[in-house]
Amino acid sequence: MDQSVAIQETLADGEYCIIAVQGMLCEGDSRQSRLLGLVRYRLEHGGQEHALFLYTHRRMAITGDDVSLDRIVPVSRDFTLEEVSPDGELYILGSDVTVQLDTAELSLMFQLPFGSHTRMFLQEVARACPGFDPVTPDPEFRWLSRYRCTQLQSQLPTPHGWNSAPGTWPGCARIGGGRYPSRNGLWGLEEARSGAGSVLFGGGAVDQTGLRLAEVARGGGPLWGRSGRRGRRDEEVEEAGREMSAAAGSRERDSAGNSHFDDLRPNGKGLLVDQSSWGQDKPEDLLPRQNKSKSEITDMVRSSTITVSDKAHILSMQKFGLRDTLVKSELVQKEEDYTYIQNFRFFVGTYNVNGQSPKECLRPWLRHSVEAPDVYCVGFQELDLSKEAFFFQDTPKEEEWFKAVSDCLHPGAKYAKIKLIRLVGIMLLLYVKEEHAAYISEVEAESVGTGIMGRMNKGGVAIRFRFHNTSICVVNSHLAAHTEECERRNQDYKDICSRMQFCQVDPGLPPLTISKHDVILWLGDLNYRIEELDVEKVKKLIEEKAFQTLYAYDQLKTQVAAKAVFEGFTEGELTFQPTYKYDTGSDDWDTSEKCRAPAWCDRILWKGKNITQLSYQSHMALKTSDHKPVSSVFDIGVKVRNEELYRKTLEEIVRSLDKMENANIPSVSLSKREFCFQNVKYMQLQVESFTIHNGQVPCRFEFINKPDEQSYCKQWLNANPSRGFLLPDSTIEIELELFVNKSTATKLNSNEDKIEDILVLHLDRGKDYFLSVSGNYLPSCFGSPIHTLCYMKEPILDLPLETVRELTLRPLWTEDDGSQLENPMEIPKELWMMVDYLYRNAVQQEDLFQQPGLRSEFEHVRDCLDTGMIDTLSASNHSVAEALLLFLESLPEPVICYSAYHNCLECSGNYTASKQVISTLPTFHKNVFNYLMAFLQELLKNSAKNHLDENILASIFGSLLLRNPAGHQKLEMVEKKKAQEFIHQFLCNSP
Amino acid sequence: MAKKTYDLLFKLLLIGDSGVGKTCVLFRFSDDAFNTTFISTIGIDFKIKTVELQGKKIKLQIWDTAGQERFHTITTSYYRGAMGIMLVYDITNGKSFENISKWLRNIDEHANEDVERMLLGNKCDMDDKRVVPKGKGEQIAREHGIRFFETSAKANINIEKAFLTLAEDILRKTPVKEPNSENVDISSGGGVTGWKSKCC
Repeated sequence: MDQSVAIQETLADGEYCIIAVQGMLCEGDSRQSRLLGLVRYRLEHGGQEHALFLYTHRRMAITGDDVSLDRIVPVSRDFTLEEVSPDGELYILGSDVTVQLDTAELSLMFQLPFGSHTRMFLQEVARACPGFDPVTPDPEFRWLSRYRCTQLQSQLPTPHGWNSAPGTWPGCARIGGGRYPSRNGLWGLEEARSGAGSVLFGGGAVDQTGLRLAEVARGGGPLWGRSGRRGRRDEEVEEAGREMSAAAGSRERDSAGNSHFDDLRPNGKGLLVDQSSWGQDKPEDLLPRQNKSKSEITDMVRSSTITVSDKAHILSMQKFGLRDTLVKSELVQKEEDYTYIQNFRFFVGTYNVNGQSPKECLRPWLRHSVEAPDVYCVGFQELDLSKEAFFFQDTPKEEEWFKAVSDCLHPGAKYAKIKLIRLVGIMLLLYVKEEHAAYISEVEAESVGTGIMGRMNKGGVAIRFRFHNTSICVVNSHLAAHTEECERRNQDYKDICSRMQFCQVDPGLPPLTISKHDVILWLGDLNYRIEELDVEKVKKLIEEKAFQTLYAYDQLKTQVAAKAVFEGFTEGELTFQPTYKYDTGSDDWDTSEKCRAPAWCDRILWKGKNITQLSYQSHMALKTSDHKPVSSVFDIGVKVRNEELYRKTLEEIVRSLDKMENANIPSVSLSKREFCFQNVKYMQLQVESFTIHNGQVPCRFEFINKPDEQSYCKQWLNANPSRGFLLPDSTIEIELELFVNKSTATKLNSNEDKIEDILVLHLDRGKDYFLSVSGNYLPSCFGSPIHTLCYMKEPILDLPLETVRELTLRPLWTEDDGSQLENPMEIPKELWMMVDYLYRNAVQQEDLFQQPGLRSEFEHVRDCLDTGMIDTLSASNHSVAEALLLFLESLPEPVICYSAYHNCLECSGNYTASKQVISTLPTFHKNVFNYLMAFLQELLKNSAKNHLDENILASIFGSLLLRNPAGHQKLEMVEKKKAQEFIHQFLCNSP
Repeated sequence: MAKKTYDLLFKLLLIGDSGVGKTCVLFRFSDDAFNTTFISTIGIDFKIKTVELQGKKIKLQIWDTAGQERFHTITTSYYRGAMGIMLVYDITNGKSFENISKWLRNIDEHANEDVERMLLGNKCDMDDKRVVPKGKGEQIAREHGIRFFETSAKANINIEKAFLTLAEDILRKTPVKEPNSENVDISSGGGVTGWKSKCC
């Protein structure tokens, strides 16, 4: 039962329900029956728009009263209805079809019954989708405002009406947001016609904010809409971005420690998130941000004008077999390249049999030509006039006449039946010579009933097919009877033309109508009569064989001349006498009471190129009916494929599509791919930049991690930005920032790490580029262990790299053996240099250790220490003080070794025990500790000038000398306090 | 609508020493062209080409890798997911042939277990500079149970054949879902339904 009839009754003028299907709306575990109607609206200026109307309904809907509108989903550009296979379930043939409906705003899942009707429904919906063609304007769906307005008016006064500002339509105002509010609106509404219940955004949802509404619309639970999914992806991206920036931030903190050298760090790392186009909103504004980025994306997509690449982009998606569609349309365009015209003989016959069974042999009609036709198109009308045939669509006559025709086909060939279609009494048969069957394809048959409710015994049936490369449509129609019903006949013709639509194998192609064929053959009892002449006059003219004179009064002739019907069709000259109406079993004109005037009711017309009519005649020998059968033989030029040329053309098309797809793989050029960083120094930023120049395809780029690595580059390197989006032909400059800090310096000193790395620049859907980074690091006392420095009598830069490496790798506890051999210094000379400098110049310096130094001066201090040119050191006291703090912080093993950390905290407050712990430290560390304490006490002697006190110094040095072995974790206040207290003891008591 | 497309996608990978002509082999196959200037591939490149085998449309996605030694650890990470790997050497470069076993080990370690392998001795147009006899290539291929072709991207020898053979070998062990009967292929003329049974 076609439920579209019921829907149609509820629609306004101009709206047409193309097809309807009953399905289950699945929301979470709930299943509710819905009637889905695809409604078309023809626009005044041409073109059409579609919307999916969802109805709740009682029983199987028969009339409009059985359905009530639940919601309307406009078929906009972002509308998709796709078959999905439920997760983890095996596909079982014959099981329900699960489809997912997505628009920008909502996502629904339906289960539709298995079968051809559902398939047809999905095809119709696919056809209705506006597609990607940039030429056609965006659908506006003004016609749907009718539903919106009624809604607003009828709803506002009701108690549970919308509480939002009067005059605005909530769905639109809240969700629209983008550039196309009218299009993006959610067409939710309450049931408009009758009854209560069935509310889309019922109850609380409507008076909540728009955000809530959006949540409701998504159906919650597992039903995330497309926009929802995108939103989540954005969050992930942003989340990742935030983590990265946090990580970068912590590195920043680590590198600078408690000192005031934050401004030494390149601040590029913190910018990662801001560079991303997604992360511009605060994380807590989740939904608005989704909407915003959605509209941003939409804008971006719409502003793009490269249609070729759009097309190619679609190509790479494994969806809808679009590539097939493109191949087919290209093949059609190039048809002339690989086809030639060959004539085939077509027999076309029509016979109104007046409900009779075959009593005579049909040979005189079907077999009158000498040559065997290649194709037989045989049509009947009034095959069966019984009520049974009308109501049950079943009649034994079908088989009888089919056999009668099959038996009488030309004996000169073997024929294959291609198709039989019948609508009540209108039947059409198509046969071809057996050897041609292989060249017949895309056979579809359809019927259209006309007259009241489309259910009378008038109408048409048609078979369309492809013969070699020519599309052919054969129509057999029985139009309205009676002389005065000429207009009705014209209308029947138009109805058949507009409503006869053939399914295509490929749903991506537009619907096929009769007119879309290369060749149209139209036969049937068209029922046009002879006008203005009385019966006797007609009969007289017939007797005189004055057919030309008579023809002037033929309604079909005058109607065609007036372009009221059969426009573009041709009919051959009528050289035979009218075929209606005879007394059955004779050649006598109708002698019944009605005494019908003779008329050429039975006709054959054609439309198309390369068609030659060879004969057009009636067959008086057959007397079964009150009509005489008519036949016409044609030579029709059919486009036949040259297989070799065809393969060649096909090959070319496939190649060109491949080429297009290859051209659409994102590709960039890089201004530089090898980066050499010479003489890298501790905490001295070096930057190398390069340019990414994008090709013709918009693309997203990102440095990606190499296998088994945690980040895309070594810790001392950073690319800024490390990801981004490039428009066609645009460029972006990327800076590679190299910065060695305390966490990376030691391994570079020991040569366990080198200034060497390969970065992988990845293009989304495209290529990967490798960037090589190389260079050399100049070892520094910063980052060197205390004992290593003690063994270095020369400045570190004067030593061979190999010596630096060996000394750096020397284990801490082997000092005794080494001391005998190498006679190490008691404390690192670099430490002594800094402390000595401060002792000489800065004991009275106000705010020492509390004011930041200068970046340039730090570099100078570092170079002086590493080259041993301490005499040339001239820097502000604050800079040297800062350098001292950085030195202590950069020690891979803190002054109080990690292993003693917890002991120190435990005996904090117990000076004796504390001293005991210090005494267990390795000698060099012990020396350094005592040396520093002595220096700090010296400073405190000058506290009147330098304003330092034990608390200040304990808090500064506490966390430098005592470092938690767990590493970078933020220390708890208690732990910090204890560390300070520990140092504090040594400042207050003399050693 | 929502009909599954029956096109198969095969991911192929070209590996081998730097300069053996991997990029040229791919360029010949995808664009039917040859470029004499040597531009070292520093990264991973890919192209697609659609071929028809046994009536099935197969999209080949062919990945071209950097051959330079210093990139090996990175390029091996691209092996995973490849359904076919073409290992290329240069018949005029003995070293590139000696490295074959190293490349084969790489495949064993990093590629899918059932990956289809093929050995190509490229530049076979330069017979005057040949240092690797064809027999040696055949022998090592036999030892590892893989196919072998001598090819020339420049003279267009065996390039297409090699790719199609590799694709066929992959197709052979790919379980192919039979297309839905509703998805009639027009080119085969299968649109005539039921005429045979009802033939009169």
